[in-house]
Amino acid sequence: MRRALLTTAAAALAGAAIVSAQPGRSGAIIPPLSPRNANYTIAARLDPATRTITGSETITWRNITTIAATELQFHLYWNAWKDTRSTFMRERALGSSSDRERARTADDWARIDVTSIKVGGDDRTATKRFIAPDDDNPDDQTVMAVRLAQPIEPGGTATIDVEWSAHVPHPFARTGAIGDFFFIVQWFPKLGVLQDDGWNCHQFHASTEFFSDFGVYDVSLTVPGGWLLGATGVEVKRYANTDGTATYRYYQEDVHDFAWTTSPDYIERTARFEHPQLPAVEMRLLLQPEHASQAERHFDATRTTLRYYGEWFGPYPYGHITIIDPAYQSGAGGMEYPTLFTAGTRWLAPARVTTPEAVTVHEAGHQFWYGMVANNEFEDAWMDEGFNTYSTARAIAQVYDPNYLALRYFGGFVPWVFRDIALSRETEGNRLAGYRRDAESDAPSTPSFRYFPSTGGSITYNKTALWLNTMERWLGWPAMQRIMSTHFERWKFKHPKPNDFFDVVNEVAGRDFGRFFDEVYRSSDAFDYGVQDLKSEREGGQYRTTLVVRRFGEAIFPVDVAVTFRSGERVTERWEGVDRWKLYTYDRPSQALSAEVDPDRVLLLDIAATNNSRTLEPKGGAAATKWSLKWMVWLQDCLLSWAALV
Amino acid sequence: MMGAWRDGIRRVNGAPALLLGVWALTLLVSVPMAAAMRGMLAQHLGASLAADTAASGVNYDWMQEFSDQAAGLGVTFKPTILGFGAVLDNLSAFIDDTERPVVIVGAATVYIVLWIFVAGGIIDRYARDRPTRTVGFFTSSGVFFFRFLRLAVVQWIVYAALFGSVHPLLFGRLYPDLVREVAVERTAFAVRVALYLVFGGVVAACATVFDYAKVRAIVEDRRSMLSAIAEATGFIRRHAAAAASLFLANFALFTAVIGVYALVAPGAGRTGGSMWIGFAVGQVYVIARLWVKLVFWASETALFQSRLAHAGYVTRPDPIWPESPEADAI
Repeated sequence: MRRALLTTAAAALAGAAIVSAQPGRSGAIIPPLSPRNANYTIAARLDPATRTITGSETITWRNITTIAATELQFHLYWNAWKDTRSTFMRERALGSSSDRERARTADDWARIDVTSIKVGGDDRTATKRFIAPDDDNPDDQTVMAVRLAQPIEPGGTATIDVEWSAHVPHPFARTGAIGDFFFIVQWFPKLGVLQDDGWNCHQFHASTEFFSDFGVYDVSLTVPGGWLLGATGVEVKRYANTDGTATYRYYQEDVHDFAWTTSPDYIERTARFEHPQLPAVEMRLLLQPEHASQAERHFDATRTTLRYYGEWFGPYPYGHITIIDPAYQSGAGGMEYPTLFTAGTRWLAPARVTTPEAVTVHEAGHQFWYGMVANNEFEDAWMDEGFNTYSTARAIAQVYDPNYLALRYFGGFVPWVFRDIALSRETEGNRLAGYRRDAESDAPSTPSFRYFPSTGGSITYNKTALWLNTMERWLGWPAMQRIMSTHFERWKFKHPKPNDFFDVVNEVAGRDFGRFFDEVYRSSDAFDYGVQDLKSEREGGQYRTTLVVRRFGEAIFPVDVAVTFRSGERVTERWEGVDRWKLYTYDRPSQALSAEVDPDRVLLLDIAATNNSRTLEPKGGAAATKWSLKWMVWLQDCLLSWAALV
Repeated sequence: MMGAWRDGIRRVNGAPALLLGVWALTLLVSVPMAAAMRGMLAQHLGASLAADTAASGVNYDWMQEFSDQAAGLGVTFKPTILGFGAVLDNLSAFIDDTERPVVIVGAATVYIVLWIFVAGGIIDRYARDRPTRTVGFFTSSGVFFFRFLRLAVVQWIVYAALFGSVHPLLFGRLYPDLVREVAVERTAFAVRVALYLVFGGVVAACATVFDYAKVRAIVEDRRSMLSAIAEATGFIRRHAAAAASLFLANFALFTAVIGVYALVAPGAGRTGGSMWIGFAVGQVYVIARLWVKLVFWASETALFQSRLAHAGYVTRPDPIWPESPEADAI
């Protein structure tokens, strides 16, 4: 089969007309930025009618560890959607999967079957077997192991030829087809990462993503003629075949994955990012026709990312980026792949609401936190998702402030913007509300794939963003920027672990943050400081003010405590926050007016900010009256809706 | 039909006490619940400085914190209560059959029972097209309450079937099947709107039948609600164009009220005078909605009378206060 595909490609090379190419862009990067130890040459053909992909690949793999490889381990991600017995589906059942999702017709499920595998020309197909290193699930077929006839010694290289076929599912976890829209990702047999302690090749889990080595991808894709195709890398050739199909060849160096999409319905737009200190980037946008008017919003958001991430962390080196606006219901929105990402917008997308901007900035931002700084997303997902949530919120605040809350009605189609509710970077951008609900669900140091599926995101994304922003408010942005840029520079095109980041923090900040990381990373404890009591009563010629502050939560963080007096005097104390409570007493000629714990809201992880303050001139009653009157009109309208049936 | 519509509006405007009465009814149910909500909000805010921003505008962080710890009534305190969002939220919840907390369902049930009680008095007043005074109003309310309760049983069965079976069928099964391979949001929305029209049309048709059943029960002093429903259906069938046109005219009034409120609905505002002005605007909207509901009944009554009776005709004699034993003795 592989030979047939290569023959087709060769025939196309020889005889078919070159439809187009993109001059000046080759996907080549000199000198290499990464180890390039896992290089893939792939040829694949999509049959939309049967939703089938047949493919072959040649992997040139170099062992860059200190141990010999006695077997190879491959990810076969699409087998996660083969049936309901996979680990992915079992975990989904714990979380958010619907009966409808599980009750799919046979054609809606996916599969990937490796039909042949040769190592150095030696057919090893008979030795392939499925393993389940994470949970011993005998029904999970997302990891395939192949025994080697000869170990591959450290520094040794192997050439691996694989042939496979796969069925494209109705969308599952951003993968699949709907109508004529195909989004094909995590789609080819892909090597795990060999480390000094063995293979790191996890099963596909419901709440985590991927991990692989950097390399060179040279991929030829055959799809129906006239369909637009977008993919990782640069299109270096395009051929029309005699059978009505077209073959696109994409090439990219120094990436660790390859994704592609095709549809006859895409419209294409291009633009360019330019910056005095950063490399120019050609932007290509494949857009749904119903979103044609939003093209510039996608480009602006991508420019925002390339500019601010580039200025803060380091430059984007690839020179091109592809933005995919996925089809409605494809479930492909908001996902990152090297040099390509999916945005996500709606047909009705009001201005000053950050759809599609927030998701575009976030996914473009993953080119930095995931694409270049390539941590293990199975084990330490917070290192890319959390870093990127923090960075996204910061970038959005530079350009799209203010932006407002919008809620959707009538099946989620009709948006309404609440101009009274401007969203703040600190709480909304870093997603405090979600964290508050799930604060104690898991310690971040737990391998991410072991987080409880339905609450894992709150730890991965929200908690990390909140503690990073807490660090920024604690240390100041200049120090935080140095930390992030040092980490980026040191670990780009590598696979950093949590301690690598913690070491950078300690080194750049010049102090030991071990206690802080114990709380925010190694613990699931919640932070909650508050004012227990404030009294200020006349005693003689003075006012005696007593203030009791408390640590309601288990987690510890040093906080300021501020007391404001009617004279305007403001006293700020530093409380290490270790004890469960502390009493402050003041004798002043002026009565106290209010007291606050953490008045500057440094500790964004505090899950109950309302109890952080107390005033002797409370407005709680007035505020409650105002809001209950608002609510009453809502209730009356609700009652009237149902009274229509009387 | 236009004559009946104008006549209905005239009859409603000619009996402002009824409008004020049903507004009072609405307040009767909503004020105690608002007081309970106020207590929850005040307790959560306490003496916190967070109340300052909540008083002067929106403290969204506090709102979310409140929402996260809230139970019962408190879970309904969300940003959607603000301004026109409240209307969208309720319309959307109605047509999407969104589940509401038990306490809201309970309040709605009480409200509906109160409406069932006053329905006889209201329609009787409009049917007679002359003042019936308090005595007449409550006498008619009492006379028809148990008849309308029996009618309500039928209504409940019909609406339970519509919302419990037809709605899930349309939106839980048919809609996903129809849009299964739809990759264009506009198309999916068009499908949903079409299903809204189908479902809304059926609900509106049923509501109209039940309205005319009430009208016939009062005008013709019917005791059997099943026969009233049958005769109402017959009337609508024989005067389909007029009944449908009248419904659409009334629905246009409803849409106009909603549209105007979309333009003037107050936002968060501050405490103090502006808070009360905002509340007053909300109450004017509520009164306008109630007015539209009454126009539905009055215009349907007028249409029925214009086709099968005559204006102001009601079979049952004018309700009069029974003479006291002392007066009887005289």
